[in-house]
Amino acid sequence: MNQVLHGIQQSAIDWRMALMTSVLVLITVIFNILSDGVFFSPENLYNIAQQTAVVGILSSVMVLIIVARHIDLSVGAVMGFVGMLMAFLMYSAHWSWPAASLAGLAAAMAVYLYQGALTSLIGVPSFVVTLGGLMSFRGAAYLVSSGKTQPLTDPFFLSLGGGYNGGIGSTASWVLGLLLCAGIVFARVTNRRAKQRYEAPVHALWLDSVLALIPCALVIGLVLVMNAYHIPNKDDAQGLPVPVLIWGGVALCMAFLVRRTRFGRYIFAMGGNPDAAALVGIPVRRVTLLLFMLLAVLVTIAAMVAISRLNAGTSSLGNSLELLVIAATVIGGTALAGGTGSIVGSVLGALIMQCIDSGMLLLDVSIGTRYVVIGQILIVAVVFDVAYRKWTGDVQQ
Amino acid sequence: MTNVDTLQAQPRARAAVNRNQCLVELRHISKTFGGIQAVEDVSLSLYPGEVVAVLGHNGAGKSTLMKMLAGAYPIDSGEVLIKGRKVHVRTPAEAQRQGIETIYQTLALADNLDAVANLFLGRELLTRWNTLDDLRMDADARKVFQRLNKNFKNYHTPVRRLSGGQRQVVAISRAIYFNAQILIMDEPTAALGPEESAMVAQLIEQLKAEGVGIFLISHDMHDVFALSDRLAVMKNGQLVGTYRTHDVTEDEVLGMIIAGRKPADRVQAMRLAA
Repeated sequence: MNQVLHGIQQSAIDWRMALMTSVLVLITVIFNILSDGVFFSPENLYNIAQQTAVVGILSSVMVLIIVARHIDLSVGAVMGFVGMLMAFLMYSAHWSWPAASLAGLAAAMAVYLYQGALTSLIGVPSFVVTLGGLMSFRGAAYLVSSGKTQPLTDPFFLSLGGGYNGGIGSTASWVLGLLLCAGIVFARVTNRRAKQRYEAPVHALWLDSVLALIPCALVIGLVLVMNAYHIPNKDDAQGLPVPVLIWGGVALCMAFLVRRTRFGRYIFAMGGNPDAAALVGIPVRRVTLLLFMLLAVLVTIAAMVAISRLNAGTSSLGNSLELLVIAATVIGGTALAGGTGSIVGSVLGALIMQCIDSGMLLLDVSIGTRYVVIGQILIVAVVFDVAYRKWTGDVQQ
Repeated sequence: MTNVDTLQAQPRARAAVNRNQCLVELRHISKTFGGIQAVEDVSLSLYPGEVVAVLGHNGAGKSTLMKMLAGAYPIDSGEVLIKGRKVHVRTPAEAQRQGIETIYQTLALADNLDAVANLFLGRELLTRWNTLDDLRMDADARKVFQRLNKNFKNYHTPVRRLSGGQRQVVAISRAIYFNAQILIMDEPTAALGPEESAMVAQLIEQLKAEGVGIFLISHDMHDVFALSDRLAVMKNGQLVGTYRTHDVTEDEVLGMIIAGRKPADRVQAMRLAA
């Protein structure tokens, strides 16, 4: 028993993540009971998954921005502007969707090159730069088409947002899910072998197995649920929704950046101690600028998913989205002081927020009450964060 | 006594150290910060295997001078020669490439990262796919930390949770691992207990034996007289004088630091041996 306990303590299990997962499970179970089982219906879970995608994509990069001691208040507005531009080019200018998307990417890059240069090269606080950006690009989103809604029709592009034709079907979902599981197991095994080669301590075999099986079980579970959602007049089940796949792909890429690349490590170092980062020779300005470019790419992806979900570009696209994104990031355990945060946390944070919101919607809670509750949950998350850091000794007092 | 050679990325070729070749020569270095003359026309040299203590009040300009050599501040005017060659150290990375390592008083650690990440910060080892080679970094770091302090086991906790001595081990390990030829130590023992201070003193002796040149910034007169071969005193951004440590008394040194008064009948020494 003692050995088992020691193994658990030594393991890479993040207790904070484990706790957040429990909170998520608890919330969903409560909603399921209150809604007489509707919450756990495949249809509801499918909708929640695809609704969370836009906030999830953006909060996975917001983690890095906040870790690096910056903030982006303009995500929602820039996403609105870029989304509107892409929809305008497709509908009013008759561009193909790849051309319009590339143009959107170019616009996002230009916007964040401007904001990123002001922040990293001139040293204007990103709070101010992006607060200005929030107003300007909200206005720009309106200017693109003088506020006229731009409907979308391209069937492939519309599948990016999920919805009726936005699932990949049951067979493809199984193939993808099993491939992912194989990847997870393979990664664990190679990591274990490499550690043994370097004579570094490895986890007990049972623990490594559990650590590989948990994510596999989650993937299989997701596939099962999504394959159980069957729209009555369709032959096949929906399967995994495309926006969720995009979100998953983005989250994997971001996690890779954080854990396996210099870029990710430098961002954390800059957030932990900016002076030290400069003194050890990290090119702080260049890394900051690159970070804003990465943000531009993800905002473009989020904009594509968002306009496709709406089947149109509207000038109100992404209104007050920055608040949801920052809230999801903070609920996911990213400290506004910088230096700490994780991609898994951002996924959980986005899910917790969306589940609470959708759950209340299901129970016919009024919009006013919903905002009150979500606001207070943000406070609870930050209070917990502060208490947790004191408990682990990461902050004094 | 531990052998420092085995800790390094590439063991230093002892024979290659020419003890008569001037390691660092600072010529007429000046620096102003918004109209305030922080360093004014300072010239100072460092030879292999010697420790030069840099002394002065807070604000005397010693840290600024050293930060310019470390590439952290740009130099307004003056020249830096490394082994007789004129170089420009505009960034910390360029200074590192010249073999200059700095142990800052603040230690320059990213508190949220672990000891291994801090040791390699800015100079990570990469796999052939350009990703971080964590396992190799772990294995190498383990060896360095073990040699510096046998009790050091917290490789994977954020360094903010480490004790002062352990944090110092992490900062020093950078200079050891990356094969410093010129080492700048800013108050290396200020935050340490007696045992850890002794470890630092022993390390300085080892590095000297290897032909490493060390600039030691210190307020601790005991350290200065125990560890340094020469000492340079600064006041108000100017160099008061450079002397062999055993040529001067503590009172004379204090006189230079406080009043900027050169001791009578003492010969300045631009290097240790004639």
